[in-house]
Amino acid sequence: MTISTTSLISLREFFSNHQILICFNGPISTNLIGEIGSALKEHIESHHAPELEVMDVFSVYIEMSQNIRNYATSHGFNDSESSATVVIAAAEAGHYAVCAGNLVEMADGQALLKRIHELADCDKTQLKLLYKQQLRQPLAQTPGQGAGLGLIEIARRSSQPMEASLDPLESGLAFFSLRAII
Amino acid sequence: MSSSEELNLSVPGSQSSPSIRADWKAGVVVMSGESYPENSFELYDQLIQWIASYLSSAEHSLTLELHLNYLNTSSIRFMIDIFDSLQIAYENGREVLVQWMFDDRNPRSAELGSEFKEDYTFPFFILSINT
Repeated sequence: MTISTTSLISLREFFSNHQILICFNGPISTNLIGEIGSALKEHIESHHAPELEVMDVFSVYIEMSQNIRNYATSHGFNDSESSATVVIAAAEAGHYAVCAGNLVEMADGQALLKRIHELADCDKTQLKLLYKQQLRQPLAQTPGQGAGLGLIEIARRSSQPMEASLDPLESGLAFFSLRAII
Repeated sequence: MSSSEELNLSVPGSQSSPSIRADWKAGVVVMSGESYPENSFELYDQLIQWIASYLSSAEHSLTLELHLNYLNTSSIRFMIDIFDSLQIAYENGREVLVQWMFDDRNPRSAELGSEFKEDYTFPFFILSINT
């Protein structure tokens, strides 16, 4: 379906209603991760956000997008399979929402959901302990495990527990979505 | 007499990787910038090897001067490898020192430095560049 000018207006309204600052959908490359990251930093800084928040939003964005990139690379995904959806939006009370979604094997997605629920039950002290333990683990080869340290980092920077969902697709893969509020 | 210069390491920085200058004769490694490269192994492996060979063949002290605003988790893993090798050298009687420099506007950098420092006993200073 070819996009029309009216669909552009509805897209614009959707963006405005959700206070979306930066959005990307497509195959994500390393350069793109860096460029979007810089744009993101400048954008939030221009809203006079404290440096602390800027760095936390940036860090969460980097960990999410690099996790997606590493996952797609380690699974030998093609361009369309390694497509990512990344959205950074303003949230309530001066917070920011960083969301990212990508295609995953069903079993990996389920393992990720389980991990995210476990992290949701941890307070900041427990997260720090987990973080230190994970830093000392040898780099795991099993799928989904590689994301471990990044997920803990995201949880540590978040002001509320992460939210995640998994939607099965006809291709046999599933779409995994993750949201962090900073 | 080119030997000492040939032993130096110099890696230019980029948007996503810090610059690295390692001076064999002075026993000083300076890193500055942000670190979230695509391939952190490629970047850090050369430095880890340089430090290993310096600690095993040179005899004088080693100072790391770090001006790192941001490190992603995979860079943090490699920094731990570096600090571990400094700790071993320190326990074997070598003089080692880390100076972690941070900007007051970026308290996360100071926090990161403190979290590294917690796990080691060699001299590790966290210093504001604003004072």
